[in-house]
Amino acid sequence: EETGEDDNYEFGKGGFTEHACRYCGVQNPACVVRCNIPSCRKWFCNSRGNTSGSHIVNHLVRAKHKEVCLHKDSPLGETILECYNCGCRNVFLLGFISAKTESVVVLLCREPCLSVNALKDMNWDLSQWCPLIDDRCFLQWLVKVPSEQEQLRARQISAQQINKLEELWKTNPDASLEDLEKPGVDDEPQPVVLKYEDAYQYQNVFAPLIKLEADYDKMMKESQSKDNVTIRWDIGLNKKRVAYFIFPKEDNELRLVPGDELRLRYSGDASHPAWQSVGHVIKLTAQEEVALELRASQGVPVDVTHGFSVDFVWKSTSFDRMQGAMKTFAVDETSVSGYIYHHLLGHEVELQVVRNTLPRRFGAPGLPELNASQVFAVKSVLQKPISLIQGPPGTGKTVTSAAIVYHMAKQGQGQVLVCAPSNVAVDQLSEKISSTGLKVVRLCAKSREAVMSPVEHLTLHYQVRHLDTSEKSELHKLQQLKDEQGELSSSDEKKFKALKRATEREILQSADVICCTCVGAGDPRLANFRFRQVLIDESTQATEPECLIPLVLGVKQVVLVGDHCQLGPVIMCKKAARAGLAQSLFERLVLLGLKPFRLQVQYRMHPSLSEFPSNSFYEGTLQNGVTVNERQTTGIDFPWPVPNRPMFFYVQMGQEEISASGTSYLNRTEAANVEKIVTTFLRSGVIPSQIGVITPYEGQRAYIVNYMSRNGSLRQQLYKEIEVASVDSFQGREKDYIILSCVRSNEHQGIGFLNDPRRLNVALTRARYGIVILGNPKVLSKQPLWNSLLTHYKEHECLVEGPLNNLKQSMVQFQKPKKIYY
Amino acid sequence: DSVQVRQKLVEIDPKEEEEFDRELRALVQESLESRKVELRAKPTINMMIPMNVFEGPGKDPKIVEGESGEDTVDEEGGSVGGSNKVRVKVIVKRGNKQQTKQMFIPQDCSLVQGTKQKEMAELEE
Ligand SMILES: [Zn+2]
Ligand SMILES: [Zn+2]
Ligand SMILES: [Zn+2]
Repeated sequence: EETGEDDNYEFGKGGFTEHACRYCGVQNPACVVRCNIPSCRKWFCNSRGNTSGSHIVNHLVRAKHKEVCLHKDSPLGETILECYNCGCRNVFLLGFISAKTESVVVLLCREPCLSVNALKDMNWDLSQWCPLIDDRCFLQWLVKVPSEQEQLRARQISAQQINKLEELWKTNPDASLEDLEKPGVDDEPQPVVLKYEDAYQYQNVFAPLIKLEADYDKMMKESQSKDNVTIRWDIGLNKKRVAYFIFPKEDNELRLVPGDELRLRYSGDASHPAWQSVGHVIKLTAQEEVALELRASQGVPVDVTHGFSVDFVWKSTSFDRMQGAMKTFAVDETSVSGYIYHHLLGHEVELQVVRNTLPRRFGAPGLPELNASQVFAVKSVLQKPISLIQGPPGTGKTVTSAAIVYHMAKQGQGQVLVCAPSNVAVDQLSEKISSTGLKVVRLCAKSREAVMSPVEHLTLHYQVRHLDTSEKSELHKLQQLKDEQGELSSSDEKKFKALKRATEREILQSADVICCTCVGAGDPRLANFRFRQVLIDESTQATEPECLIPLVLGVKQVVLVGDHCQLGPVIMCKKAARAGLAQSLFERLVLLGLKPFRLQVQYRMHPSLSEFPSNSFYEGTLQNGVTVNERQTTGIDFPWPVPNRPMFFYVQMGQEEISASGTSYLNRTEAANVEKIVTTFLRSGVIPSQIGVITPYEGQRAYIVNYMSRNGSLRQQLYKEIEVASVDSFQGREKDYIILSCVRSNEHQGIGFLNDPRRLNVALTRARYGIVILGNPKVLSKQPLWNSLLTHYKEHECLVEGPLNNLKQSMVQFQKPKKIYY
Repeated sequence: DSVQVRQKLVEIDPKEEEEFDRELRALVQESLESRKVELRAKPTINMMIPMNVFEGPGKDPKIVEGESGEDTVDEEGGSVGGSNKVRVKVIVKRGNKQQTKQMFIPQDCSLVQGTKQKEMAELEE
């Protein structure tokens, strides 16, 4: 099934081998032997690890098993070790003897064959019987001891764990070490830690957290069925049926994104049989209208518009790929370089320098000139196997990333893989990189191929359709036929798929840079690709296992770009979040002592707007790359309380309310004042696309949208074009003017979402020309960070109250901040 | 891809080590005894060195090709002649069939002392 993503693809299979040591995972055929007891047949290696005997000897002793077989790829080939004379297979009795005059050796048992006198008379030298097991280890020239490197990358199993495991195998022969440590159903999951013994322990910690998140996601999405949905039917350019309908959303509930799969159902009536079809979301409008492209166009009840039901079709793909990446990380030692392996796990590694000739200049064609901190970042990361770049708001991290990728691609180390957790970020970065002249392919999930993309010409599916060579004509003919008829005969479909796959591969192989989401890096179409150099943008918004997906394709040099002072990954399952799944790899590496290169010049905010964020989140290091003049709003008549300081905190004392859904909050007075501010902006000549309204609550978001279009004194359409959204959905973007509605206003409860300093940082750093914050200082001042923000506004005479056309300094008293730090 | 990882010292619990040794010795002992009980009669001798081991190009038995040829020579094969390894042929039985494989044994292994002495003697001649 074309749309079925990678259902038939087994993750992490590439690295897993049956003959891996059941204790430590070492899988070098020269180092392992199989226990030959029919009920056992497990493989073990000949390293001692942290125990007194080698793993195979440990197993034989603990399990009282006595026979072994060598690996087929070992120097002796697949051989059961036995006495050359009598066939005895007890390894505790076997040893080698050599011929007296020739360099020929055989295995001989100690009892009785070694004591047979007749042998002495033959050509054998019995005086030098050399036992198979010596010093609790198999003879090392027969079964090699894994190299130090191999041992360091293996699972670090202790003698106690071995004993426990052997005990467990008596009742459950297939048990693994993970089974020993599995928490009970109701237990809190094991929390993440800073350092891990090995990749198995890493997997042990993260796999259950990903499972929790996946289960939660599934449960939540599958419970989102909506009935009585009204449909508007249409036909897409590709002749496929598209259903348009409204799919309302609530806080903490499912947010649809393009590419999501939904099932549309009709239960049938007198003139229509029951019908259902699955489709992909290809578009979401600001009015919450969803466009769903149906997979099958046959039998669609297009003359019916009412009474449909919509279900979410949950897919495990992204979670499967994370689990697969962790497994590959553990079992496949070529998945990442040794240096990166140990560094990611927090082991102490000697600093390594990447020996590459550095370019003469660090900028790249088609990109703006780099500033000093950007040049420093580019230069430094090119010489390091792992580096972090911290890009505070507006500091040009996309340009810096593109310059890095440009120079990496010019180093001739093969193709560079560029990822980010979100599609939007990947699109932006692909465009920037492509403007340097590099050949970029943007790989999209198959489910998103119908979704509009700003970089369509870079996408793989577009290039497959438009590659203009004669060999492709067969593919094009079939594609055309498919477009016209909707489907192909099964033999044509087979041919079509094969041709398409070959063309895709060809295009991917000829690229300098491949761009996709982190999850997209697990696409089966990349399964046979290796990437030595990987850059991950917005890496602070990805979970660790998500970040691992692009890394386990053979990485030797990795650059993580992000900002751990802005919002991290969104984790829906509280249990998983509490256990630390919300901490990004970038953050953990910072905690491990890897210092990020910080970009220091911001080009977004009016200098008055960057002052507080710089001091509160970036130790005052943020410099302004824009002047007050460049952010002057000539001709805009807006009542800023202090000229040349386009900001104020608008004191609001209105009550908060629980929204109609019961799961969110709204604040009517704040909403009414948001409308007044918006109207004032619009009247003074600001256009709707310049304005963004940020509010942390879905209840307030919906209320503001509604209120503005009903009560705004200007044309309704103007208000409809204004983006009203959550802090989280504004991350990574900017607007000329930002209006922030805080909503929460109660004496006793907390301020919820606003408590997170990183969320406040994001909210405060979206505006280029001006910001208005609406909130209740009495409530907000209890929180230390908000208290200092309010103090900052007050000191600059920007804390005001009263009607918008007559703003006055507010004398409202702040509360003492509680000493709670997050 | 060489990487310097600061080694943590592996500390083996002496009690664990002692217990392990005891079990190992017990297993060897038990194995020996069981054989003594099982096999009262002396085993028949079936230890002729197969003739094909000595057939091969040249007189030097060390250059005789094993049945599996070059692919059994591992990367250390290069050091032969160097040499801290000695090439030997290991004969194993698969059912009634004998097979010969080349292996490399460290020179200081007691097994190859005889061969070495012989070589020395030949060289002196
Ligand atoms: Zn066994
Ligand atoms: Zn092992
Ligand atoms: Zn024997």
